[in-house]
Amino acid sequence: MTAIEWIRFLSGSLFLLIGIVIFFTELFGVFHFKYVLNRMHAAAMGDTLAISACLIGLMIFSGFNFTTLKLFLIIVFLWFASPVSSHVLARLETATNENLSEHCEIYEDVSDLERELAARKNGEPDKTVEDTKKKEAPVT
Amino acid sequence: MELYHTLYITLLALFSLLLLICLIRAVKGPQVADRLMAVNMMGTMVMVMISVLALLLNEGYLVDICLIYAMISFLSVVVLSKVYIGIYEERMRKKNEEEGVSHDSH
Repeated sequence: MTAIEWIRFLSGSLFLLIGIVIFFTELFGVFHFKYVLNRMHAAAMGDTLAISACLIGLMIFSGFNFTTLKLFLIIVFLWFASPVSSHVLARLETATNENLSEHCEIYEDVSDLERELAARKNGEPDKTVEDTKKKEAPVT
Repeated sequence: MELYHTLYITLLALFSLLLLICLIRAVKGPQVADRLMAVNMMGTMVMVMISVLALLLNEGYLVDICLIYAMISFLSVVVLSKVYIGIYEERMRKKNEEEGVSHDSH
């Protein structure tokens, strides 16, 4: 093999190696976290980043032809499809889980969350939503 | 060329191992969302395997199949999520109706 072919082989292998390492990280995260909404964070990483790295490595191996274009189309399609499927899965989990508040904090209204974030910004980290509600109750 | 062949075979073996680990997650997953997420991950890995196979066999049309596989895998996740949300709502409605009937009879 000539020098150019060696460079092509090594760069393609490097991209494939990055992809496989990210796939292993994804699987580690999926087994490490305890709840679906946390696991989803790890799983969505593989759908976009790992498959992009693997397919870019294969594109370098394939050379300049129609197969490369099709592989690029797969990457572009997954960039659009993966966030949508993650969103739909998260909606499934939040719609069907009855004791969701055991796993994460739930805000009934967005203004509650905004108020708590503003309180945290002003340096009052121990101020919870219940406190602000109690304070505002007599005013209204 | 022998080098490429060895690399592709190694990749296929590695990805089949990763697929088995994904399958364990799909079997163990306590909720429906866990299993659907594992199926989505398996779909991603099978896509890479099909692309590697296309280069190994030197058949360009296998990449078309990979593109179609990506679309079907996305569609299956979306449709199954919608179906499970529908089943859950139906079950809750039936439960509420039964409770309402029992309250009326007492």
